[in-house]
Amino acid sequence: MSRIPESSPPVATTVRWRAVDTDVHHQLRDISDLRPYLSRYDWQRLDEYGMPRNSNLYQANGGFRGARADCFGAGNNVDPRTRLDLFQEKLLDGCGIDAAILQGEYTPAVMALADIDFAASLCRALNDWTLAEWVGRDSRFRLALTIPIQDPALAVKEIHRLGGHPAVVAVYAVCGSPRLYGQRYYDPVYAACSDHGLAFALHFSNEGIGMNPAPTAGGHPSYYAETYLLRPQFYQAHLSSLLFEGTFEKFPQLKVALLESGFGWVPAFRWRADATWKSLRAQTPWVKRPPSEYIRKHVRFATQPFEDPEPAAALASVLDGMNADETLMFSSDFPHWDFDPPDAIARRLPAGIRDRVMFETALETYPKLSR
Amino acid sequence: MTGAARKPYPVCPVAELPAGQRRIVTIEGKSIGVFNVDGRYFALRNRCPHRGAPLCEGQVVDFVTATKPYTWETQRPGEVIRCPWHSWEFDLTTGRSLCFPDTIRTTSYPAGASSAVESEKIDTYMVTDLQGMVVVWL
Repeated sequence: MSRIPESSPPVATTVRWRAVDTDVHHQLRDISDLRPYLSRYDWQRLDEYGMPRNSNLYQANGGFRGARADCFGAGNNVDPRTRLDLFQEKLLDGCGIDAAILQGEYTPAVMALADIDFAASLCRALNDWTLAEWVGRDSRFRLALTIPIQDPALAVKEIHRLGGHPAVVAVYAVCGSPRLYGQRYYDPVYAACSDHGLAFALHFSNEGIGMNPAPTAGGHPSYYAETYLLRPQFYQAHLSSLLFEGTFEKFPQLKVALLESGFGWVPAFRWRADATWKSLRAQTPWVKRPPSEYIRKHVRFATQPFEDPEPAAALASVLDGMNADETLMFSSDFPHWDFDPPDAIARRLPAGIRDRVMFETALETYPKLSR
Repeated sequence: MTGAARKPYPVCPVAELPAGQRRIVTIEGKSIGVFNVDGRYFALRNRCPHRGAPLCEGQVVDFVTATKPYTWETQRPGEVIRCPWHSWEFDLTTGRSLCFPDTIRTTSYPAGASSAVESEKIDTYMVTDLQGMVVVWL
């Protein structure tokens, strides 16, 4: 018996789009949420040992336990990530969000699990639970699939299992990884994304965890502030890999969304990537175009955490230098502590690109959103 | 510049510029590289529009291309000059950049151009074998 809802969730019948939120994070209330979606054996071991954690070290965060302190009205032990009613009140209704893409708070830990079959079981259960308990209860939610990307063959099975679901718009992966994502090991994942019209959404997490390299290129920093500040390194490394391995030549329909990467670095990265290609083109001759052209066509960036350039006028040149009208998408990161509300972000954008950033580019990047 | 206005400048006897070799000469104050590519002669201005390097002192290489990722194919042996500074590649036979596939300019770069990157073609000159001499026409 399929545990996936049999019928498509009703698609939001918004006459005019206001905002698509490309990055929000929900969580299980308790591992028992997954019980109906696991085999008897998998449930027994989850019950006995608990959910995998994405760190064996002390892990700091910002805000209150990583979330907005104003979202703990139900008590400090009720994680706002677990409260669908809070998402509706403070985000969907409160901020006028027409569609919000769920990137599960639980995902990174599953992707750091070395037992790939257990990881695959958990991914299936987490996706089915989300579709039933979140998407099934509010059609404004969409899902970026959690996949066991540490084993592409199992990841592809999960993409094919749920890729046709109308609310599944993307595949979610985290930056902490033993390999850079352009390497051919991952090609089956991109082929499966392309088959279903799913974007590949890349979000930080798991850096320095398990088999993964250190959380900065220079090693393990002492403080969370450093980890937070230096995250663009990971996105740059994976983006460079996608460009020079020819991923976008191999998968011409693929869209990659870099979530929570910041974007002030994008113009400088593009300049440097193009200069590098001009000098070293012959070493990777399948890269037929300057890298900036692949970025414009295939790579999208989310607004949060929105960098407020100083002087303020510099924002215009950053937006111009990244072709923000084509590449930038709104995200709030709800309910995390560094949340950006859509009205404040929209106000910072030039009027001419406001609709592009707030929803149009997202509708293009995640083609299933508007279906 | 019309053909009638060009003047011949001898470079060296043909025997002194065998296939795969080059000569760098100064003609009318311009440094010019003269190349023998498998029996065909080419000449181009010895100045890279990027940073002003002596382009013609760079490596002469094949054009490396690919029909798909993780393949390498060499074409047009010895027809590419790779600038000694930063490795920009130019088609030795036409002076055209291989890095700016759609923005090739046919005009020569202006001296002292403020934006060198906009200049993607190197001036080229006709070369002939005139009575046993390699001759550049300017």
